Amino acid sequence: MSPTYPPDREAAGRRLLDAHLHLLDRQVLDTDSVPVTAVSDLEISDLDSGEEIPRGTAPPRIEALLSGPVFATRAFGGRPPASRLHRIAWSDVSSVDVVLRLRVRSDSLEASWGERWVRDRIIGRIPGARHDPE
Amino acid sequence: MILSELLTAEVRGDAPVGFVVDVRFVVDAPGEPDRAPEARLYGLIVSPHAKFSPMGFERKDLASPWPIAQIQGWLHRGSFLVHWEDVAAIGRGWVRLRPGFTRYDARLPEEARTLDEDW
Repeated sequence: MSPTYPPDREAAGRRLLDAHLHLLDRQVLDTDSVPVTAVSDLEISDLDSGEEIPRGTAPPRIEALLSGPVFATRAFGGRPPASRLHRIAWSDVSSVDVVLRLRVRSDSLEASWGERWVRDRIIGRIPGARHDPE
Repeated sequence: MILSELLTAEVRGDAPVGFVVDVRFVVDAPGEPDRAPEARLYGLIVSPHAKFSPMGFERKDLASPWPIAQIQGWLHRGSFLVHWEDVAAIGRGWVRLRPGFTRYDARLPEEARTLDEDW
């Protein structure tokens, strides 16, 4: 077994992240440190499933973080339909650490629609809920 | 393609060699200031004996906590990294490698940067 990384030497001095270890199930915070969601899966740029990959093909890239109801499918197999997964573009990620931070506010993300719905339709109708406590 | 299609996929060379337990990406140098650097697939971490996550123990020679390190070391003995160039095809639940593929050490090179720096 080779101890080094000879085919892509320039990558050695860069950040190498392992998707399962560093991204899956991590908390996502928006630019104001408001919790948005957790990472359920990753969207990787398309490869033709089962087709031969010609030598020299550019490697796939992370396109987006996906979040959605994956608890049941992890326990029992399968995967949720694509329509149930919310997408956060990778270009909106500003850092990867113990949590993932975004450079956008959660209000602009589809992933936080449930929270916005509860805030506007339920919490917001409680008298006194639309202003700071005095 | 989504990541979960790759994780736990069976990896075959001339014969079955293991399972994908993680997918390593290299984060490119920052380009435009308001855009995250691209993360491109660098290689697949393949474990010959287990489908479980190695929990990062394969990245460095970690020895603690001792019981976990021992269990992980045993479960993932013989793990290796397959570079993207050695991947011949990817299907649902399987990955085929090119003939004569190289088994690279899954540990990080000394000069690899940590993730806790701002992009």
